Amino acid sequence: MSQRVDQSLVREVEKFGKGSWNECFHCGNCTAICPLTEEGFLFPRKSYRAMQMGLKQTLASGLEPWLCYYCGDCSTSCPRDANPGETMMILRRYLTSVYDWTGLSKKFYTSHWWEFIFVLILAVIMVILFGFINPNPVDYTLTAEGSVRINAMFPIKWVELGDWAMAILVASLLISNILRMWYKTVIQDKSVKVSLFSYIREFYLLVVHFITQKRFSKCEDKNYWLSHWFLMTGYSIMFAVIVVWLPWFQTEKVYLWYEPQRLLGYYATFGLLFGLIVAGVGRIRKKGVKFRFSHISDWLFIVMLFLTTVTGILVHIFRINGMVEATYISYIVHMAVLVPMVIVEVPFSKWSHLAYRPFAVYFANLKKSGQPVKASVQS
Amino acid sequence: MEEVKIGVYVCWCGTNIAKMVDVEEVAKEIGKYPNVVIARDYKYMCSDPGQELIINDIKKLGLNRVVVSACSPRIHELTFRKALEKAGLNPYLFEMANIREQDSWVHTDRVEATRKAKDLVRAALHKVLFHEPLSERTVEINPATLVIGGGIAGMSAALEIAGAGKKVYLVEKMESLGGMMARLDLTFPGLESARDNLQLTVARVMKDPNIEVYTNTVIRDIFGYVGNFECIISPNFKEDISLQFGNVVVATGLKTFDPSVIPEYKYGQLPDIYTSHEFEGMLTSGRIVRKDGRPPENVAIIHCVGSRNRNYHEYCSRVCCMTALKYANQLRSALPEANIFEIYADMRAMGKGCEELYSLSSRRKIMFLMFDQQGPLPVIRKAGSRDKCDYLITLQEKLSGQDIEVPADMVILMVGTEAREDAKEVAHQVGISMCGNAFFIEKHPKLDPVATTTNGVYIVGSCQGPKDIPDSISQARAAAARILGTIAQGSVTVEVTTANVNEELCCGCQTCIKVCPYTAISFKEEEKVSFVNEILCKGCGTCGSACPTGAITCRHFTDRQLINQIEGLMRMDVEPELKEV
Repeated sequence: MSQRVDQSLVREVEKFGKGSWNECFHCGNCTAICPLTEEGFLFPRKSYRAMQMGLKQTLASGLEPWLCYYCGDCSTSCPRDANPGETMMILRRYLTSVYDWTGLSKKFYTSHWWEFIFVLILAVIMVILFGFINPNPVDYTLTAEGSVRINAMFPIKWVELGDWAMAILVASLLISNILRMWYKTVIQDKSVKVSLFSYIREFYLLVVHFITQKRFSKCEDKNYWLSHWFLMTGYSIMFAVIVVWLPWFQTEKVYLWYEPQRLLGYYATFGLLFGLIVAGVGRIRKKGVKFRFSHISDWLFIVMLFLTTVTGILVHIFRINGMVEATYISYIVHMAVLVPMVIVEVPFSKWSHLAYRPFAVYFANLKKSGQPVKASVQS
Repeated sequence: MEEVKIGVYVCWCGTNIAKMVDVEEVAKEIGKYPNVVIARDYKYMCSDPGQELIINDIKKLGLNRVVVSACSPRIHELTFRKALEKAGLNPYLFEMANIREQDSWVHTDRVEATRKAKDLVRAALHKVLFHEPLSERTVEINPATLVIGGGIAGMSAALEIAGAGKKVYLVEKMESLGGMMARLDLTFPGLESARDNLQLTVARVMKDPNIEVYTNTVIRDIFGYVGNFECIISPNFKEDISLQFGNVVVATGLKTFDPSVIPEYKYGQLPDIYTSHEFEGMLTSGRIVRKDGRPPENVAIIHCVGSRNRNYHEYCSRVCCMTALKYANQLRSALPEANIFEIYADMRAMGKGCEELYSLSSRRKIMFLMFDQQGPLPVIRKAGSRDKCDYLITLQEKLSGQDIEVPADMVILMVGTEAREDAKEVAHQVGISMCGNAFFIEKHPKLDPVATTTNGVYIVGSCQGPKDIPDSISQARAAAARILGTIAQGSVTVEVTTANVNEELCCGCQTCIKVCPYTAISFKEEEKVSFVNEILCKGCGTCGSACPTGAITCRHFTDRQLINQIEGLMRMDVEPELKEV
């Protein structure tokens, strides 16, 4: 089956980031130097070519952009300065919008205003919810240890309920998009048949890759793997404790430093700050190929996560020191940053790669283990 | 009779010969032969001191024959002949034994190679014994020149020669001057008007008092030889005129490939499929539209049509890639919203400004799709009603490895170029040869690109092979310079090692006339014998070997000389012995 070439796709993908579409003359140096590319999943050149030719189906069914961790070696070795690494980054944004059935992802990636206004509206809703609708007054009584009664000011039951509502919304969006990704990349690929057994057997690798991010460590520069790993684990732990295990994590009692709540919280905070500082400073200084180009979505992600972390730290400090008003205000600000960040970033924007990446590795492994189906017309 | 005194010189050629042939041993062995007065070996015989060695020996020892055993005679025979001349000896009393190309370079056993070198030198020794002094001859040059073909190459040559004050007859078959260039809109890579440049040249040609232009004219016949040619032309197909001239410039150009023989492209079957030349016409007219008058939304340009393909022409037509890029740029300017596809096999953008044009084109949103010349060609078919285009081109795209279809409302076939149908006729008239693709062959592909094996006949422009405008003009001016050089000398030296008919022995069978590749032999009706025109004869020897009665002798390659050479070569184990002259 031959695919129609489409000159308009380049113009479409261009909205997801500034590329150098015409520079590539297909020498293949990028693919040769890439430590992650392998037989069956050749990139970045082939993805670049599919983009140039406007082969929408090839792109939508390809996992290659997610298998790239953007070490930047390809862009460094490119004789034409065609920035293949950045092209893969742009294609990841484009694919996120392809998987997303709501169309919001495309809106957020291609229009700053859409993203800003959406974030702003959610932030205002949070401020109204926590600052005005919340019936509980500011509670000046302190606990026996002298810390602020945060759960009395913002009833933990309601917050937890809200948390769960947000988590279900975000998860259902993300899961439906992952299913679409699976359909496009595995089911629609008629060249390979995956057995049920493979789905089970390869699943543990999904977990392993998620936890270790070990593909990233195959890139030449190991430093990025470390900071990325801290950021990822910090984020995941924090997400788990504040969304899933909130009543266990956020209690009246302030835990002692060696208790798991405190240790996990501190680790997660450290992981987030470390990862964010490396990424933020790297992007400001345009250090290395990886950080040379920054899309607005990259910055929004860094800034919002940083603000969330900082306000979270402030809430913690104010609270254990019994500063009631400061705790009250910083908590509302914390929520006004955190909630829009999660809703916008996790299913629709940069944070979705947290799911797409390990799933792409999983799907790729499925395809590798699958039985090849002979195409009816082979040339 | 004078005693034969031979000097033998064995060259080392640095290490080229010396590393595989024991040159000292060869010289020592050859020195033992009778009549060999001196046998030396030297690092570089062709160097000035090497030549001095020969000159001094001739003067001091009274040598009257010289054998140099070195490289190919094609490289240095003339060098040594000149050395002999300098020493006062007839240059034809010289023979060369090639122990480099025919020995040291091709063998790996030093002992065997040395033995072979001795054999080759002995053969030369046996031959040179029978060499006779020959004297060079010259012919007067008629200062007029005939230029065949009024394209940009022919006109450029004519202008250059006429500019030096010499007469030029410019003969063009068509009604007007200009040739292929007259059919072009813009030129690549600068996208300048072809017409402006051409009109300037045509105007200069028409105004030049030294150029006599004959349009609508074919040449009936050409005869003669360098310096003294004559031809009969019939302007406007009326009365015959005879012209006399000393040199000929052949600038007959080429023609375009007919794509209707390629079934995949359906040229002539579907309406909006054009050859590049038809599309030039569309560009010149300024309206890029389909047959039904609508402008195309998708334009596909297919490269290498009839070129670089074993089924059609194997060679590259050289100008089509850049012409295709020119089209893409012109199309982009004319139709800013159209999808433009370049379906190419390899992009050949060599030369000044060409790669730049390629880069510029890719920045102007033109999609480049590569097909594999070794694989099946792209196929054009009519699109369905839902396809939103008139045609679909299916191909296997090489860089992505995918089967794709390209939408098109207009297809431009970049047709290759090929030799004209009348090339054979022209070649026969002026006595030059054609290659397998019917392009005319130059004297030497590297060192003598505009001359031919026929003295006084030069080939310029694309009759010699596909060429762009600046290259055609360069060739034209190069030929003009060569011609002006011979005119300035007033005479040219002609070959002396020619064939000669012994009329006593000639039986009049005319075999020689049939085999002569230079039409140098004619038949004397009264005497019923063959006659060699020594100015046309190149001394190739074909007639000599074909003559059944032995009536034809080739100077410098007489039967006696050759038989003796063979004897010298074969007598390896016999005692050294040479016959007296």
